[in-house]
Amino acid sequence: MSSFTATGRALDAVRAKIAALETGGRGDPASLSFGEVSIDRCFPGGGGLPLHRWHELGGEGMEAETAAAPAAFVALLARPLLKMGPAVWIARRDDLHPPGLAGLGFPAGGLIEVWVRDEAQALAAAEDALGASGVGTVIVEAQACDLTAGRRLQLACEKGQATGFLIARRPFGGGAPGMAGGSAAATRWSIASAPSAPVAGRPGLGAPRWRASLERCRGGRPGAWLFESPGAYSDTEIQDDAHPLRLVAELGDRQLAPAQPARPANPPVRFPVGGEDAARRRRA
Amino acid sequence: METSRGTRRLAAVDRAAAGLGLFPGQKAADALAYVPDLVTAEAEPEADAQALLALVDWCVRFSPAVAPDPPDGLFLDITGLAHLWGGEAALVADFRRRLARNDLPVVCGVADTPGAAWALARHGDGASLCPPGRQGEVLDHLPPSALRISDAACAQLERLGLRRIGEVRRLPRSQLARRFGLELITRLDQAMGEAPEALAFRRPANPWFDRLALAEPISTPDDLARVCGDIVERLCARLTAEGQGARRFEIAYHRVDGRPQTVEVGLAVGAREALRITRLFLPRLDQVDPGFGVEQVTLAAFEVETLSARQAALASEPAAGGGVEIAPLVDRLANRLGAERVWTSQAVESHVPERAVARRAPFSPELPARWDPARPRPIRLFRRPEPIEATAPVPDDPPVQFRWRGQLHRVRLAEGPERIAEEWWKAPIGAVSATHVRDYYRVEDQAGGRFWIFRAGLYEAGAPARWWLHGLFG
Repeated sequence: MSSFTATGRALDAVRAKIAALETGGRGDPASLSFGEVSIDRCFPGGGGLPLHRWHELGGEGMEAETAAAPAAFVALLARPLLKMGPAVWIARRDDLHPPGLAGLGFPAGGLIEVWVRDEAQALAAAEDALGASGVGTVIVEAQACDLTAGRRLQLACEKGQATGFLIARRPFGGGAPGMAGGSAAATRWSIASAPSAPVAGRPGLGAPRWRASLERCRGGRPGAWLFESPGAYSDTEIQDDAHPLRLVAELGDRQLAPAQPARPANPPVRFPVGGEDAARRRRA
Repeated sequence: METSRGTRRLAAVDRAAAGLGLFPGQKAADALAYVPDLVTAEAEPEADAQALLALVDWCVRFSPAVAPDPPDGLFLDITGLAHLWGGEAALVADFRRRLARNDLPVVCGVADTPGAAWALARHGDGASLCPPGRQGEVLDHLPPSALRISDAACAQLERLGLRRIGEVRRLPRSQLARRFGLELITRLDQAMGEAPEALAFRRPANPWFDRLALAEPISTPDDLARVCGDIVERLCARLTAEGQGARRFEIAYHRVDGRPQTVEVGLAVGAREALRITRLFLPRLDQVDPGFGVEQVTLAAFEVETLSARQAALASEPAAGGGVEIAPLVDRLANRLGAERVWTSQAVESHVPERAVARRAPFSPELPARWDPARPRPIRLFRRPEPIEATAPVPDDPPVQFRWRGQLHRVRLAEGPERIAEEWWKAPIGAVSATHVRDYYRVEDQAGGRFWIFRAGLYEAGAPARWWLHGLFG
């Protein structure tokens, strides 16, 4: 019995040593749990998304240019980190719409938005922001980040104790973002919007869903999940404890599900806005 | 030479011409008759005014409070700073010497009041110092025209045989006021220091000002940076001692040839940390062209406010306090990229999506308006909605499919419409029309992409509906 626990302890020690080796010897255990053991296990240390690192996210197809799904996903990932300090959003295009962030529960009123002119400025501003004291999260939209720039971002993260998110985004009409090749990011994600599941009896769309695949994870292993944001676009108060992203259990093979009718099955919802009466009269 | 009332007249004469008996206001024909080989040039009042402003800016090297006195004069408030030059006489000598080096003829006077100084400069010997409190004695010998009064009043005084200010002062005030109007009395009192006079300084007098005179002109970037650090430290020490912080700093490098080179930095919240402010200046000092050398540096702080000492947060505590602790970062970014490129969004109470967001400077007070999270808004909003080809068989229903950027999207789920009309109270009543109504739908396609599309205008039989894509939910 006692030899059994001793073996277990020795195994734990070896695991910790391997984890330390895999993370490059930095004993920085800060992490953010997804509240789901199956996800947290994929990350080094098993505690969830490692903090004080930077993470790379991107989309495919049109999303590589518009980067809407990665932006929404990052906003939800970063929301629990806001209590560690204000967030900075650095972008070359000013098409981020803060009311959309607010709808996802991300308080956009305190977000500092920085509008840079080019790629070099974006990365320089991100490095500056990550290294500054007091900053909690830095989100930067950039085309690519080579090994040197990535390493600089990582050093800045460690100096400022901030967490970075790089949204790989192709400039308008430009080439594909440089997600391929070596990267100094702690994790690399590919994010795509996923069909939502409408609540029975309620018309319209269901809670937004994203298919997130963890393509690379330093010291961990890849995975793919379907996430849902149950609190999005609702007036209810946000609980600080729960992670804003909830894992959705996949039921069977979605591809085999019966094709939905092209026409929306549910009648459209009408919002109480000005001019609605006129519309109703006209319908009648 | 200028044209006034249809006659060509001399607007100004130089010293040689004055020696020949020419005077401003003389008819050009008369002047040419006296001096046939007279060289004339057209008068340029605007250029003169600009040159005067440039001179005013240059004079900041002597005092921060300089007021232009168009068309050809300026007031320099040297209260409390003559000792820096070793006395008023030394200051005047330095002033004249520097202007003479630039071939600018100058007359000046120093007195307790602007009026007395003006009189001394224009009608004294051109370099007189009036001892404190004795302007009465000095002015008594000057003609009444030294009082800055209108030509008409001046001519009338002459006609009455009053050729000295002293004679005017001896008359009873009530009679003076009745006969010559209030102007004469006011000017007399201002010259004597019995009535206040407000000068319109080029920039408001600023107590948060420091200057550093250099023994030798400097020009290398290292020297410019070092001097910048020195002067910032001096001013910040004063700010610290008085518990103040400033939100704007302006450093001016005064070159040997008299052209000041200024660099300005702004801060999001008041600050007085010398090192931090110097670091904001340093990357921008390459804009400074030292020319043949810089011989003086001035630094002014603006928007000075009381800055209470803050306790740095305990290391174990999470950051709190509205994020002001990241002000140094915001300042760095704003000064590097431009202040308009760093902002915080502010909710505006408007249903029109383009108007729902306003930008405010970080850390400025937030207005109470907020966005309604229950009204779904896209995370990416296109500045210009993009046209889409939509197929909507039923007029008031969302489309069943649409083509955007050449790609077909089949609508799986939709909600709406959310009707957003233009803000008719903001436009003239004639410009309001029902065609400016937008019916917004949030739709999801088969792949899960969520879009914000709208139909412009109301349904009209026969006219094809126009559909636009305005944003992406991601």
